[in-house]
Amino acid sequence: MDTTYVLDIYLPVVFAVFLAAFTLYIIRIVKGPSVVDMALAVDCLAFDLAVFIGLLTLYFRTPFLIIGAIALALWAYILDIYIAKYFVRREVGE
Amino acid sequence: MFEVIEWFVFIIGLILITIGAICDLAGALGLVRFPNFFVRLHAATVGTIGGAVIPLFGIALVSAVSSQLGPFRWTVAGGAVIAAFLIMIVAPAGSHALAYAAHKAKVVPVEPKVCDLLEEHEKRKAKEAEKK
Repeated sequence: MDTTYVLDIYLPVVFAVFLAAFTLYIIRIVKGPSVVDMALAVDCLAFDLAVFIGLLTLYFRTPFLIIGAIALALWAYILDIYIAKYFVRREVGE
Repeated sequence: MFEVIEWFVFIIGLILITIGAICDLAGALGLVRFPNFFVRLHAATVGTIGGAVIPLFGIALVSAVSSQLGPFRWTVAGGAVIAAFLIMIVAPAGSHALAYAAHKAKVVPVEPKVCDLLEEHEKRKAKEAEKK
C-alpha cells in the first residue's frame, strides 16, 4: 500500500509540533537554574530527537536513518547516569 | 480484505503519532512552566514516555504497511520498536537516578515539603554512625 500522499501532507504538521517542543526544551536548557534541570531537559530533547529521526525516515523514505535513534536513546541514559554518579560520589567512575 | 487491515493499521499508527505529538508539547510546556526540579520530573516523564515511546510504536506500525519504503520497511519497524523499548526502560531509570542524586547532594531545595522520609532516614543513620 502506497502511503506517500497521506504522509507528505500529515508529517509536516507533526514536524511543526515537535519543533515547538524542541524550542521549549532549549529554553529550559539555557535558563535552567541548576545542572540537574539542564540534564533533565537534555534527556527529553535526546529522546524526542530519536522520534524526530524516525519521522524523517518516513518522510524522506531513507530506511537507514532509524539506526541513529537507538544510539541517541542510549546516549541520553549514559549522560543521566554520569551526572547522578558525580553528584552522589563527587567523582566520575570509569 | 488485506487492504482493509493495512488501512486500519495505518490509521492506528497515525493516531499514535498524533497522541505522541500532543504529549510532547504538553511535556515541554510543563518543563518550562513548572516551579522546581522535583515537579518538573513529572512533566519530563510525560515528555519521554508519552512523547517518545508512543510515537515510536506509531512509526513502527506506519512503516510496516508503507510499501514505498521497499523491503527495508521491516528495518524501520524493527528499529523503531527496539528504540521504543529501550526508551521505555531507560527513561524512568535515568530520571530516578537524577532525582536521587539531586536529593542526596542537596543541589535543589525540596520546596513544598510535607514529609521527607529519605532525609529523616539519612539523618538517623548519620546519628547512629556518630554514636559508634
